[in-house]
Amino acid sequence: MADPRGFLKTTERETANRRPVSVRIMDWKEVYEKRDGAVVKTQAGRCMDCGVPFCHHGCPLGNLIPEWNDLTWRGEGMNAIERLHATNNFPEFTGRLCPAPCESSCVLGINQPAVTIKEIEVSIIDEAFDKDWVKPHAPERLTGKTVAVVGSGPAGLAAAQQLTRAGHTVAVFERDEKIGGLLRYGIPDFKMEKHHIDRRLAQMEAEGTRFRAGVNIGSDITWEDLRSRYDAVLVATGATKPRDLNIPGRELNGVHFAMDYLVPANQVVAGVSVENQILADGKNVVILGGGDTGADCLGTATRQGAISVTTLAIGKQPPAERPGSQPWPTMPTLFEVASAHEEFGERSYLASTVEFVGENGQVTGVKVAETEFVNGKRLPKAGTETIIPADLVLLALGFTGVEGDEISSQSSVALDERGNVARSADWSTNADGVFVAGDAGRGQSLIVWAIAEGRAAAASIDEYLEGSTELPRPVKPNDRPISI
Amino acid sequence: MPPSQREICVAIVDDHDAIRFAFKGACEEYGLRFCGSAATVSDLIDKREVLGCDVVVLDLSLADGSIITDNVKALLAAQTQVLVFSIADKRHQVAAALKAGAAALVRKSQSMDELVSAIKQVASGRFGVTSMYLTHADDIQIKMAQGAKPGEGGQLPPNKVYPWIAKTRHSTPGVGLISPPPHHDIYSIEDLKQLIFDVKRANRAARVHVKLVSQVGIGTVAAGVAKAKADVILVSGHDGGTGASPLNSLKHAGTPWELGLAEAQQTLLLNGLRDRVSVQVDGQMKTGRDVVIAALLGAEEFGFATAPLVVEGCILMRVCHLDTCPVGVATQNPTLRSRFTGQADHVVNFFEFLAQEVREYLAALGFKSLDEAIGHSELIDVNRAIQHWKADGLDLSPILATPAIPAGASRRRITVQDHELEKHFDHKLIALAAEALENSKPVTIELPITNVDQAVGTMLGNELTKRFAADGLPDATINIKLKGSAGQSFGAFVPKGIKLSLEGDSNDYVGKGLSGGSIVIRPDRASVFAAEKNIIAGNVIGYGATSGSMFLRGIVGERFLVRNSGVTAVAEGCGDHALEYMTGGIAVILGPTGRNLGAGMSGGVAYVYKLRADHVNHEALAAGELHLNELNDKDSEQLKSLLQRHVEETGSALANSMLENFATEVNHFTCVLPRDYANVLAIRAKASKNGIDPDSETVWQEILEVTNG
Repeated sequence: MADPRGFLKTTERETANRRPVSVRIMDWKEVYEKRDGAVVKTQAGRCMDCGVPFCHHGCPLGNLIPEWNDLTWRGEGMNAIERLHATNNFPEFTGRLCPAPCESSCVLGINQPAVTIKEIEVSIIDEAFDKDWVKPHAPERLTGKTVAVVGSGPAGLAAAQQLTRAGHTVAVFERDEKIGGLLRYGIPDFKMEKHHIDRRLAQMEAEGTRFRAGVNIGSDITWEDLRSRYDAVLVATGATKPRDLNIPGRELNGVHFAMDYLVPANQVVAGVSVENQILADGKNVVILGGGDTGADCLGTATRQGAISVTTLAIGKQPPAERPGSQPWPTMPTLFEVASAHEEFGERSYLASTVEFVGENGQVTGVKVAETEFVNGKRLPKAGTETIIPADLVLLALGFTGVEGDEISSQSSVALDERGNVARSADWSTNADGVFVAGDAGRGQSLIVWAIAEGRAAAASIDEYLEGSTELPRPVKPNDRPISI
Repeated sequence: MPPSQREICVAIVDDHDAIRFAFKGACEEYGLRFCGSAATVSDLIDKREVLGCDVVVLDLSLADGSIITDNVKALLAAQTQVLVFSIADKRHQVAAALKAGAAALVRKSQSMDELVSAIKQVASGRFGVTSMYLTHADDIQIKMAQGAKPGEGGQLPPNKVYPWIAKTRHSTPGVGLISPPPHHDIYSIEDLKQLIFDVKRANRAARVHVKLVSQVGIGTVAAGVAKAKADVILVSGHDGGTGASPLNSLKHAGTPWELGLAEAQQTLLLNGLRDRVSVQVDGQMKTGRDVVIAALLGAEEFGFATAPLVVEGCILMRVCHLDTCPVGVATQNPTLRSRFTGQADHVVNFFEFLAQEVREYLAALGFKSLDEAIGHSELIDVNRAIQHWKADGLDLSPILATPAIPAGASRRRITVQDHELEKHFDHKLIALAAEALENSKPVTIELPITNVDQAVGTMLGNELTKRFAADGLPDATINIKLKGSAGQSFGAFVPKGIKLSLEGDSNDYVGKGLSGGSIVIRPDRASVFAAEKNIIAGNVIGYGATSGSMFLRGIVGERFLVRNSGVTAVAEGCGDHALEYMTGGIAVILGPTGRNLGAGMSGGVAYVYKLRADHVNHEALAAGELHLNELNDKDSEQLKSLLQRHVEETGSALANSMLENFATEVNHFTCVLPRDYANVLAIRAKASKNGIDPDSETVWQEILEVTNG
């Protein structure tokens, strides 16, 4: 390791600056300014190359973090990207979108600010793409076996790339018009510009992966038909069923699921025309749900010209620092100031929505009570109701499982009690040759888990088709992040 | 309820109101329950505040003129312990209080960081092994096996020898410490027996342990060690060890503790030696199950190090040797130490859980106590373990076997070793030195000595240290004059205040661990041979000596002053490997030396007469670590005064003639000086001269730059 005393010399984190708020809300481009290589290098020097690197364990992919930190410190970019690609198919996605469980389990983070692992990761891949070091790795021999991957989100794409490189012929099916799934249409440009996806897809196509956009498995082609045409099928359709809030007024116009708002907004930014787009300009917007989807809605509404945006969260405001109940190396729930929060809007906690108030079938306000905890349940406290004016209400309350019942009706694939696709220890469903990876099997989770599951499922599929595999298996289906 | 389960109750007897008041506040701060206070012992007793007290802190001299021994006895009669608290150094009163039964003494002048550790180690480097160190211990462990340390003996790199570390180790700040790989006084089992003998006389109350590494053949070694009168035999497994080790030591030294323990237990049982030693085991013990299996295989005591350290915050970074431990465990660096979060009660919790688990296993096995389980290896069922395809065909029965032993023979310790302490020469000395020990008055003792009298002066030294602690008594308060041939370890660990003058000769290990005393040896006055051409003492003189003086009129054997930490010694010639691993002190050699002088010498200074450069350790000279200089004025002064003392003490003809021609003779002397040591001393001297504290951070940085720490 380069500098054992680096962590004593550089004691503060330094991440890329965000563009000034007033400037960045005028456009949809990424909020970060260009990174300074010298700063990244110094920050990489803070890595202590621990004898027991907890960051490996925190990262579901098992990224070899101390190694590429060291290579970055030494300025060996080509070796760094090789090291990074050995465990992560899409560092340009995770380096922008992952909440970094690696940093939560960084050993330096025990009593000092953690190493800026995410920054280092994204700077490695950005440099690699800039200098054209990212080359396609087409397989030398084909196996003659075919695999259909349904869903082109991070799980499906990771599995597709792994299987293609192992020699199989892979077709990725996506019901949307363009490949990328949530990456492209769920996540706004200001968090990740879409040319990153296109660049990576170009590599995958050059490796031999086929893409079939605009094909909805379940309606355009049935599941059993698909299974009969391919040697193996991977279900990677995500957990897209939104959680609803069935309170009085739910049927009023102007009350929408967050994805019904976000996806069209992102399509429009990409240049696709959308009929009857839900817009926030000139409106009072209320977002229910204080998570990442809510923050994405906030940033989008801000840029569309909303006059006010209020985010309501039912629970307590999370602590600013790691609480005793979520000790190192777990990933704590902290009060986060995302880029969208810096730009606009108010956040309220302990807010239980009890009713949507409206006139003439159109929502005009949201009636909110204070949350109180009764026997561990979060209930609205009677007598504390107030009404917040709202012309547009977005429900960003999380996702509960797979949408629709085509898969269970068209095949023998079963769902488990949580509404996710049931799977056994080798990622297989109870339909022979049908596997599942990503949110579809795990329930709503993080991008990094999706990529890890995609890689692991690919190994199982390879083994199913060939009898044995050399592909890595970073996680198992029942792996969970460490917690007390 | 025992004190460990409730708050400790304390009271104070002191005639100053301000002190009583401050004491009450201190109790609150440290979580002690304050029971009461008074200006006199009788008041405390009358007020009944002494009832239920665990400890009464008692000022040594009270205004009411009461006698300390009466006070102590009165408090003891009230069923409480007494801690004597004193501003003055009234030695005889302190001694009286302790003899009357006071449990401890705290001097108001004592610094806060003089800690008491119950278990002390005697490693090959003998760093800091003084009479004080040995006297204040319950267990003394001789570390025979040291596989899991950097360097093959231990090593403390220069950047980790902070000023306060150097003080504890009796060495120089910023100069690295190296321990020689074997103990230089142990080359056979008889030598080990000698060291056990010496250490036992340095502290009769302490158990002497010998730490062995688990390996094939440990059974024989253990039997030998038991015969050598060790009280405890420690079998140390190949797991665990410090993160500062090189990987090949970590991974390839030793075998699992289970194997070594089984072999040691069986061999000891076979030879009828098991009943008089305790067997201890360690090596990454983590759970109650480990403890129970170890007990079934024959162990009575169990050592834990890694697990409690992890409880205190260690995260197995494996950078211990770099002094960058981010959680402040394996470092003395103040910045990193501030990041330490360990708490003693967490460690206590861990062991309570462990004990609970042990109880559960014992209950499942049908035992009512751990003692009942010891040695019952037949209760270990290995079938599931060997059903694995990798273990198929393994026959583990030799490990689990118990040899045929007579009915009623014990599988664990039920008696103690017979150390034959009552036969020691020193009992005479102690009786004759009573006036000095009790009243600090000088005494002179004259006795004959023979070569079966070993470790003469050691037990007396222990008695002195018990009473007078590190300060000892003024030099030569106990002036012992002996005639004859001394046995091994003459004057071992002898503290300041004892002078041993021997007319005759002596064997090996003279002045081993010398802790401030003085030793003078000269041939019999009636002898006709030239003293400077004949041998007066044996090998390994002054091993690990920390302070004091030795004047030896004659030639000594090999390894003279090996690991010397601060003794001043004069000899008239020596054998091979003199001054090996020396870290401090002054050596004067007035005649020919053997080869390989100064190997690993990192401190101290030597003045050698007509030194041949090819006799100095080649590597050290070539690397520039050792300098051979002419004597400067200060050196000459020092040499001259040492020669004068040598003549005074021993009547040395050689030294006398050198003094008569000093102006010429001084030019024949070479000053052997380690480079780093010279630099560090120069920096510290300069700092002091400029009024800067030599232990300060700036000076420390300068030192590190110079020694490349």
